[in-house]
Amino acid sequence: MQERIPQQARPGLRYSLVRTAATEIPQLATLVIFAVNAVLLTVLVSLKAWHRRRMARTVARGEEYTMLLSRHLAYEHCTDPITSEMAEDPAFLDALIDLRNAVSGDEIATMREIVRRHGVIERQVARLEAPFPLGRRLRAAVALAEIGDETSAPVLLRHLDDREPEIRIQCARGLGRIRWTPAIDAIVGRFGIEIPWVRARFSDTLVGFGSKATWPLLAYIRINHRYESRGPALALRTLAQIQDDQAVAPLLEILAEATDLEVEIATIETLGELGSPEATPALESRLGSPQWELRAKSAGALGGIGDPASIPLLVEALRDGNWWVRRSAAAAIARIPGGIDTLYEALDDEDHFAADAAGEALTDAGELVSARRRVEGGVSEDDERLLAHMGTESRG
Amino acid sequence: MFEKQERTAPGPGAVYPLPLVTEKKRILVADDSKTIRTLLHTALESAGYEVDTAEDGPSAHELGRDGGYDLIILDQLMPGLLGLEVVERWRSESIETPVVMLTGVDDDRTAVESFDLGVVDYVRKPFRITELMARIRMRL
Repeated sequence: MQERIPQQARPGLRYSLVRTAATEIPQLATLVIFAVNAVLLTVLVSLKAWHRRRMARTVARGEEYTMLLSRHLAYEHCTDPITSEMAEDPAFLDALIDLRNAVSGDEIATMREIVRRHGVIERQVARLEAPFPLGRRLRAAVALAEIGDETSAPVLLRHLDDREPEIRIQCARGLGRIRWTPAIDAIVGRFGIEIPWVRARFSDTLVGFGSKATWPLLAYIRINHRYESRGPALALRTLAQIQDDQAVAPLLEILAEATDLEVEIATIETLGELGSPEATPALESRLGSPQWELRAKSAGALGGIGDPASIPLLVEALRDGNWWVRRSAAAAIARIPGGIDTLYEALDDEDHFAADAAGEALTDAGELVSARRRVEGGVSEDDERLLAHMGTESRG
Repeated sequence: MFEKQERTAPGPGAVYPLPLVTEKKRILVADDSKTIRTLLHTALESAGYEVDTAEDGPSAHELGRDGGYDLIILDQLMPGLLGLEVVERWRSESIETPVVMLTGVDDDRTAVESFDLGVVDYVRKPFRITELMARIRMRL
């Protein structure tokens, strides 16, 4: 029977094991790391190559689809088949949308017929209604925004409440594109609860509806301006872009009732953008407001309306204690017919702040450059005065 | 003596009437959008024209200068050179090929500048193919 040798009695073996471990384990680890890296690299390169091939195939299919659809547009009775597999393909959808955006008139009707015959809208509706994946749902929403028709409107309307912001935006865009007027109230109604960037895109959609959105927006502002400011302020700016004169009288009522500074500012700006002389008295009275923001915005809006009768009050505003009000008043005067002459006169104002504001507005209006040019011909006293006031000389 | 006249045949069921030409008219389509190039190529070929395409300003300039085309359909916004710049170069090189501008630029100034440079027609995108084809037939 072999005698068991205690561990303590075999120091050489222990040393040998330690030495082996010390030399071989790092080598082994290096080898393993190298192997893992090599495998990862191979996988990565293969994936990239696969992705590139896939993209190339998608592009090639897209080109084939564009040619196929072009033939359908160019030949009245084109017999080249469009199969259901093609209609399922995202590349087909992209080609369809690209062509749809390139043509108009009869060709749009042909595209609609292709879309209808191959159930493209129904397929996209089904994808949008599915709970996931997000990418496919988003693509469906974009497709419906581009090629959707009245049949897809109820689905788009429902998805204005979608959990995904971008899908909500695309649904609103689609409803705007097909001018689905029942959607206006729904879109306006979401102004108060939407996140800012979605709200801004909703505003763009409403502008597309034109004057049909005027009254829903006004109703929304009337109901909400006492309780919140951001939604009504954006609704007011949307009205400014729609440029519907019918909004002026209700806006004046809103301005009289408004207590929120942001709403007041947006109302004044909108009245200025609409440019109706009906708003002049209300805006002129706001030039005496204790709040400088309202004085400045009213001055700017009066410039937008452009009534020469406002010039005396705006000249008063040139002497305002607030720099921004003076600057706004001067810029407004420059926009009113005959205002440039008034600004030249204001260069001699006793209030040197007023004179400075006039000089800056004249410079912004391009008068300084013109003055230099004219002074080289030595023709105008006004030019000399402006150059002297702004501390520059003609470049003779 | 008269040369043998070749009459171009349209594809089956072509929407557009066969142009009454004695030989294939050659058209250059210059547009950075592949979709537009493909669409016009297909439509023009179906109407019996011979079509070449260019995808940017410099290649459009080169082809238009050397290609001997009967008509050029030119986009305004292309990489490398704008459509109007290309026309300017052709005119300075005495290339007087009729040019039809086909552009998404919806501004009257560009239209006026185009006509000032001798462009024969100006069509805005999105466009009706039937209308564009009629305008082309009128020029050829």
